[in-house]
Amino acid sequence: MRYQATDAKSSAFRKNAALAAVSAVAAGVFASPASAAGTPAGTNITNVATATYELPSGGETSVESNIVTLRVDELLDVSVAWGDPADVGTSPGLSGQLLKFTVTNGGNGPESFTLGTIANGGGDDFDPVVTAIVLDSNANGAFDAGVDTVYVPGTNDPQLAPDESLTVFVLAVIPALAGDGHRGRVDLIAVAKTGSGAPGASFAGLGEGGGDAVVGATGADGEDDGYYRVAKASVAFVKSATVADAFGGDATAPGSTITYTLAATVSGTGSLANLRVSDPVPAGTTYQAGSLTLEGSALTDAADADAGSFTGTAISVGLGTVAAGTTRTVTFQVKID
Amino acid sequence: MKIWLALFALLAPAAAFAADTVSLTSKVFVERVKPGADGKPVTVREAPGVVTPGDKLAFVLRYRNAGAQPATGFVLTNPIPPSVAFTGTDDAGAVVSVDGGKSWGALASLKIAQADGTSRPAVAADVTHIRWALARPIAAGAAGELSFRGVVE
Repeated sequence: MRYQATDAKSSAFRKNAALAAVSAVAAGVFASPASAAGTPAGTNITNVATATYELPSGGETSVESNIVTLRVDELLDVSVAWGDPADVGTSPGLSGQLLKFTVTNGGNGPESFTLGTIANGGGDDFDPVVTAIVLDSNANGAFDAGVDTVYVPGTNDPQLAPDESLTVFVLAVIPALAGDGHRGRVDLIAVAKTGSGAPGASFAGLGEGGGDAVVGATGADGEDDGYYRVAKASVAFVKSATVADAFGGDATAPGSTITYTLAATVSGTGSLANLRVSDPVPAGTTYQAGSLTLEGSALTDAADADAGSFTGTAISVGLGTVAAGTTRTVTFQVKID
Repeated sequence: MKIWLALFALLAPAAAFAADTVSLTSKVFVERVKPGADGKPVTVREAPGVVTPGDKLAFVLRYRNAGAQPATGFVLTNPIPPSVAFTGTDDAGAVVSVDGGKSWGALASLKIAQADGTSRPAVAADVTHIRWALARPIAAGAAGELSFRGVVE
């Protein structure tokens, strides 16, 4: 009779699929860590083989090989991804403008990372002024002023487990001179503290579990670019006048009526809020009661529910919020004294 | 009682000697692709230095019959180590198991049952054990090698 020794380890299935074949519950309990980062640094891989054979005298015996052990070294990899869905809209001169990034430890060991930014890397229209890097310490994906931790290099460098991600916010001031439609770029950089450099470079003894640390494909420094885009609206006023005299002509004489047209045109991007048109009635003329219009519709002179009023010396029309690309036209009439 | 002890004492060294007639050694190498002498890339097996996930490993099993008699019915079994995904072997006559050593066969003949009740063809990464059964006896003094490859998960 030939007896084939089964290995002691054979009872412990190591594949998820094999587990599933036996019991879905067991698969849930023993699911091997299917992590993108791979086998955790410091893990020992051991191999031992068993042979059986028949003795010349009859019967069989078995022999075990030596055990070879291999320690998995630490792979250093990190990636950074800009997380905003599109350019972050902003306006000139604003502070505390947010860019959102995700830093992910792609290595197979816990690793701390140094964070930094580059705001003058070119390829954009203006340089945002970075005022802070903030760690999303409550991990809710949103910036919470006073709650999330301001990053201080060398003091609270974030440590991430293999495959773990951290949301990082960059706060910047937008220069006052940034123009409409201009883009400003900030790169967020994360560098493995154990070391970085050319892929394959190794740091003896610095890996998790006492092994070596090896720079992975990312060079152990990751970066990505985030962009702000300035939306800036501006307004231009054009004032024109037409004169009508009492005789159907256009002579400028006492008794002639002057119709003033004020056109406010908003251009650029976005809108202007609380836009108001005011114009003093010229000296030597008298405002014609009830002559005020906005977009062709009459306005009362009283300061009331409608947008316009005559203050006694000037007309004033509140235009509210006016979107870029639109023109609001106000007219009023005076009579030359 | 004394007789039994004496008998045992006589038999024990003989049994130990018999068990040691075939030795088995296990080694592991890392396979790396390097430029060869003619500039073309060649795969070389190196002693494992730095090993990280994704590295290719070669497990080499060497047997030697140090006895005076041939060893027959030689069967070598190697569980694939945890954290290693089996990728293949160049040595003929291997059968594999994908269920922890319960059933054996050529990889193409094995299936993996899935949670939804269906099954799929097994792939190399499913292999949990590899086994060779030598058809011929190992002659006295003869030696040989069997090897398989895997990748660090």
